[in-house]
Amino acid sequence: MNATRRDFGRAVLAGLGGIAALACGRSAGAQTHPGPNRSFINGVQFGLQPFCYHDLPMTRENRGELIRRLVRNGMGMVELHATWVEPRFNVPGVSAAAARDKLREWRLAPPQGYYQGVRKELDTAGVSAFTYYVNFDDSYTDAEIDATFDGAKILGARGCVGSFGLAVSNRLVPFPGRHGMFVGLHNHDNLSDPDAYASEASMVKGLSMSPDFRMMLDTRHFTAANGDCVGFLERHHDRVAGLHVGDRRRNNGRSTPFGEGDAPIIELLRMIRDNRWPIVALLEFEHGTLRPEVEEVDLMFDYCKRAVA
Amino acid sequence: MRRRVLAFSFSIACAASVAAQTGAVHRSYDTAFLGAPLADPVLQHAKETFVLFGCAYCHGLDLVSRGEATDLMHSALVGRDENGSRIAPLLRAGIPQTAKLSPMPQFSDLSDQQIGALVTWIHYARQQGRYKELTATPVRAGDAAAGKTSFDGACRSCHTPDGDLAGVARKYDAASLRAAILDPKALKVQRSFAADRLHDTKLASAQQRHHALLENYSLDEVANLVAYLQASASRQ
Repeated sequence: MNATRRDFGRAVLAGLGGIAALACGRSAGAQTHPGPNRSFINGVQFGLQPFCYHDLPMTRENRGELIRRLVRNGMGMVELHATWVEPRFNVPGVSAAAARDKLREWRLAPPQGYYQGVRKELDTAGVSAFTYYVNFDDSYTDAEIDATFDGAKILGARGCVGSFGLAVSNRLVPFPGRHGMFVGLHNHDNLSDPDAYASEASMVKGLSMSPDFRMMLDTRHFTAANGDCVGFLERHHDRVAGLHVGDRRRNNGRSTPFGEGDAPIIELLRMIRDNRWPIVALLEFEHGTLRPEVEEVDLMFDYCKRAVA
Repeated sequence: MRRRVLAFSFSIACAASVAAQTGAVHRSYDTAFLGAPLADPVLQHAKETFVLFGCAYCHGLDLVSRGEATDLMHSALVGRDENGSRIAPLLRAGIPQTAKLSPMPQFSDLSDQQIGALVTWIHYARQQGRYKELTATPVRAGDAAAGKTSFDGACRSCHTPDGDLAGVARKYDAASLRAAILDPKALKVQRSFAADRLHDTKLASAQQRHHALLENYSLDEVANLVAYLQASASRQ
């Protein structure tokens, strides 16, 4: 190998860059007041759907650990599932119906300053809640839906997202506008259910219900449902609030580590970068690993960082 | 001198680059989620395969299902499966038609060996879980007549209460007898791969038979078998 002096210079700079990266990696975990957008990288705002931490039950008691892990993974944005925030009432001895009633009561009259306290925890760690994940269904009263949006707004979320279909979406139409927020439609891959968001047509139908509806396009599920992720973003990017970034194989195939499935993750991230679209890329994966989940998030995040480098 | 400086700088750069790479890619093992490695490497491999292909996140590593995934601990299909006869075709095809939010994915790209490992873990974990369930409460009073019917159907081809099982019910109390029925000590041995025993299927078939029973017993069936063996012992 014939290396020139310029090559040597580049190698030195690369090495110093590595040292700097290591130093930054260490300090990120130790900082108590890091700036916002910690995970804004080369024009793409990344975040995490903490479902990735499969070993960590999604309870409010584990919220502190969740926030520590987000910081450790260099994440400045999160899709916060309501179960990280709300108390659980479905405990032994309490029927499912009674637990549901108690949760509704709590939502309608949360303790004074409760959501503000959770927001402070997030702010202190430099983590923003991009969206609040709530699986709205027919059991929600109108007042409860309004209360949920109120709480989400205090948390700093810009929208409420959930795994519901067309019928529930139709009911949600009047709500996001009066809270200055959006409803995020999250697709799965059940092509056999006419109410489900799985095909492009079903998603377009849902989006047409309200200008306050946005897609949270799940690249794993859409790929498994044989959807065209790149084409969808090209055609509907102005109605897409975020991506759930993950990999799966087509034809209802299994989840895989990033780059081993059929989801065009690199292309999608570069579309966001090159077009400067304000679409948040939330990492969410379901593939198995023998490593601790924090390390697996690191690996998948590294894959995404290289995609937009 | 300049060459030496450049060479020194290059070595630092390489070291830093390698450090950065090794720092990012750990190869540690998540014992908090996976538990301590099992003594039997076949089962350990099966468990890791179950995790690696994402099964554990929906169905639970110990088959305590999470969310909307099928409860494999009590699934009738798993109970009827013999060496993957029912599970393997389902894994290869998935369940695309479903009322659930997300259909069960298909795993058609897995090798027979990998599918076999998944089947192995599902049955092993189910046996562990079912044993715990069936022994969690004191032995209830059983119906000896119903126990005889169960015994005739499932056990008599290999055992007789006044033959190889004579004295067993007198030797053990009800709880120990139940444990012996569910998990016989004689079958708690690893399969030998010695060449002269490679095709000795006697132990393997006995294990499989008992494991299948364990996976499908109800609390009443076990109580009835205990009652029948105790009644037989008292007549001897």
